[in-house]
Amino acid sequence: MSDHQKIQDMLSLAAAGALEQTEEELLLNHLRGCDQCAAEAETWRLLAGGLRRLPTPQPRAIVVERARAQAQIRLFEEFEHRWNQTVIMGLIFFAWVLTLVSWPVFRFVTGGLIGLLDPSFHHLWITFALFTATVWTAGVAAAVVLSVKHRGERRLA
Amino acid sequence: MSWESGMAVESDVAQLRRGDLDALSTLVTRYQNRLYRYLLRMVRQPAEAEDLFQAVWIRVAEKIQQYDPHRNFEAWLFTLARNLAIDHLRRIRPESLDEPIGDETSGETGTSRLQSHDPAPIERIVARERTSRIGESMETLSVVHREVLTLRFEEEMKLEEIAEVLNVPLSTVKTRLRRALDRLRGTMETRFPGESWL
Repeated sequence: MSDHQKIQDMLSLAAAGALEQTEEELLLNHLRGCDQCAAEAETWRLLAGGLRRLPTPQPRAIVVERARAQAQIRLFEEFEHRWNQTVIMGLIFFAWVLTLVSWPVFRFVTGGLIGLLDPSFHHLWITFALFTATVWTAGVAAAVVLSVKHRGERRLA
Repeated sequence: MSWESGMAVESDVAQLRRGDLDALSTLVTRYQNRLYRYLLRMVRQPAEAEDLFQAVWIRVAEKIQQYDPHRNFEAWLFTLARNLAIDHLRRIRPESLDEPIGDETSGETGTSRLQSHDPAPIERIVARERTSRIGESMETLSVVHREVLTLRFEEEMKLEEIAEVLNVPLSTVKTRLRRALDRLRGTMETRFPGESWL
């Protein structure tokens, strides 16, 4: 490929401002001595100018407002969802801590420190296990019911 | 984009990430024309561009927590818009997006539909006619070529930003840009033969 041909290939990119510094210098040097390429460069420059002057379409105001409102609702929902998730995670963590801590405390109050080392089953341990299981089962059931209800409301909305 | 403008966008995006609804509203206002223009260039039909415009902002609300603040917000926004537009085009026009498009709008183009009807001096009318011809010819190009031209010349994005939006190397951006300009010029010479179209 001749230098002239290389320069011709660079003209469109030059009009788009997409040449490297060295390429631009090479091009300018060539254009000073080549009328044909200079004319071609001018054509590309005008075409690029025409592209930059294309009219800017504007969306209808009602479309913008609808987009704004829908996006704000979605953003609010996303943050509500994240907040709910955080709260539930916090509650679960708190419930576990309470469960694990309350057992030794319960034993300490009722049977003393030595009782903690006693692995034998007796009615207090069973009562505590039943109590814990009931609380957790009720919590899970409530969470499922609330979740189903929330989904139903969102579907209706 | 000026430094002040860039800082304002950063600030709005940071507030948006904290759930500020007003920040979202500000960003919608700031980008409404540019985003709509880009979408219209991609899909060509105003009704489809409007639907996509709404979808993009909903997607922004959904994905803003995944946005990397070190990244250019504009590039991220236009990437979301591009992905939605490409999905839409694939649904309604499953053939290759690289193919040039026939005249599906029975002579009425997006550019001609969108022109202002304000009275103007004669030189403005002549200049508008030239621009209109460029716009008409541009609409016959493939989506791939239309988008690179609009990102470079209308959105005035840097080549690196275009590469980020299109998710291609810089060299590919240059190649597409050159081919798009060659095709555009070829189309204009074919559509308006022997006329001084510039």
